Amino acid sequence: MKINKEIRTLSREMLRASFTDDRLDPGKVSSLVDSLIARRPRRYIDVLKYYRRLLRLEIEKRRAKVESASLLAPETSWQITNRLKQKYGDDLQAEFTVDPGLLGGIRIRVGSDVWDGSVRNRLQRLQQQL
Amino acid sequence: MSTILEEIETKIAGLKTSTTKSNVGIVRETGDGVARIEGLSDVMLNEMIEFPNGVFGLALNLEETEVGAILLGDATKVREGDEVKTTGRLLQVPVGQGMLGRVVNTIGQPLDGKGPVKNETFYPVEKIAPGVIKRRSVSQPVQTGIMAIDAMIPIGRGQRELIIGDRATGKTTMAIDTIISQARLNKAAEEAGDRDYRPLYCIYVGVGQKNSNIARTLAVLEREGAMPYTTIVSAPASDSATNQYLAPFAGAAMGEWFMDNGRDALIIYDDLSKHAVAYRQVSLVLKRPSGREAYPGDVFYLHSRLLERAARVSDEYGGGSVTALPIIETQAGDVSAYIPTNVISITDGQIYLETDLFYQGVRPAISVGLSVSRVGSAAQIKAIKQVAGKVKLDLAQFRELAAFAQFGSDLDAATKARLDRGQRIVELFKQVQYNPIPVETQVAVMWAMQNGYLDPVPVERVKEFQTKLQDYLETRKDQLLRAIRDKKQLDQGLEAQLKSALEEFKTTWR
Repeated sequence: MKINKEIRTLSREMLRASFTDDRLDPGKVSSLVDSLIARRPRRYIDVLKYYRRLLRLEIEKRRAKVESASLLAPETSWQITNRLKQKYGDDLQAEFTVDPGLLGGIRIRVGSDVWDGSVRNRLQRLQQQL
Repeated sequence: MSTILEEIETKIAGLKTSTTKSNVGIVRETGDGVARIEGLSDVMLNEMIEFPNGVFGLALNLEETEVGAILLGDATKVREGDEVKTTGRLLQVPVGQGMLGRVVNTIGQPLDGKGPVKNETFYPVEKIAPGVIKRRSVSQPVQTGIMAIDAMIPIGRGQRELIIGDRATGKTTMAIDTIISQARLNKAAEEAGDRDYRPLYCIYVGVGQKNSNIARTLAVLEREGAMPYTTIVSAPASDSATNQYLAPFAGAAMGEWFMDNGRDALIIYDDLSKHAVAYRQVSLVLKRPSGREAYPGDVFYLHSRLLERAARVSDEYGGGSVTALPIIETQAGDVSAYIPTNVISITDGQIYLETDLFYQGVRPAISVGLSVSRVGSAAQIKAIKQVAGKVKLDLAQFRELAAFAQFGSDLDAATKARLDRGQRIVELFKQVQYNPIPVETQVAVMWAMQNGYLDPVPVERVKEFQTKLQDYLETRKDQLLRAIRDKKQLDQGLEAQLKSALEEFKTTWR
């Protein structure tokens, strides 16, 4: 898929129009997509594909992936979610998974930021430094 | 032993600071030595990024949703979906005294099987060149030991002199000769305990060369005893384009360490045409727009920022220097192609080697008309200036008149004298490879030529005369040679001694 300047500009404009009060608005997104399909401008499928990609990246920025070695207590997960929302805004969604490979501790990923407090990470760092 | 334990303790204590924040991305596409990565929102231009399995990359393209990175090391270990981390560091290479005598790759890892390199520190590969405040003008010579260069196209420490010519015209040989000459001078000064002599350390950067060529260069340098003062940075043709693109910068970083420590270094970039080709490949694979001859728009900046790092810094900053001898290979003598014109305009002069001259037996095949040195004459020692001041003019006039010479006898005496002189200078400047001539011998030989001692010698025997004269001077008159070397200029006393020496030699010459 070759993305030209026109496609990029149009998709970016659509993304900009998809927000209400700095939050992604599903209603706006679907109406934008519908209107684009109805108008059928040149290479509209490529525009949609690129728009989808921008949306995906935007959604990832608002999704926190919390991995822990064992299942977290509801209290702890509630605390984590709250703290993350303070930092990244209220529309953040937290997703909790269990990964025994971490050996212990928690690893949180929001967009491209990662907080790694897992034992695995510490061991890896120790290995690198020694 | 206890210090080691303490060190480990502090390291473990440092690790206790619980969580670490990092910035990550996901590899979306990889191939041809580059990777496109989604995420990495905090990455900086030219920052090192870490892939799994210990592979590193350099972020070269920062786009709206993606980062384009070139891979250092084994690109096959990187797969789609791999998590990539920023490191907050720039690419750096080991530098220091311990690099001398070693053959290393682009990132400073040894290739010569002599164990790990003993470096003092690391320097970033990309570094801003010293500014105007730090610099001073070129004033000390680089004695290449090649008579034609030292006499007519002198090179100073801190200069950038391009060696340009077709394939197989002796470009690399000229560079190796220069290295050998430096090694001999360094060694002689060391043995004599000369504290005033500033040793010149050499760095040979081979970019896109055949491995056999680099092995041959290494063998020559080892045989001539030049390796203790030389580092070879090798990015042969079998290396990735990334490594070939970075090798000259790594070499420059190694040279800068000498400069920053008040010492002198000489870097040979062999050659920048292949470097430009490697950079073109990297740029095209990263989907950067291409320009003339498909080179990217910043290929001029690529070479200018590299060659700007050659400098002579002022005494307040240690007085060190980096001299650069870039090499460019032309196609069928075309100096007006893109990369040759770029590099010609960047450097402080060029030595142009011609195929025709090479096959006529004029070796080194320096074309006197097209070769210049814009700053080097300020660095020439006075003795050379005294004997070689007019040589370039004499030779240029000779070339002009050479066309008439074919018409034979009906030439006036002045023209004939000029032709005879020219022919003898050409003969005198022929020199076998890997045999640099010390500057004092050059002075003595050229003095003999200037004062007409070669005029009775038939042209075809000039070389023989010169060899015998050099032997005679080196064995019988080494006091005189040493005096020339120490005084660095010819006064009346020395000229008288030279005269008597040559008169004496003339009686033995048959």
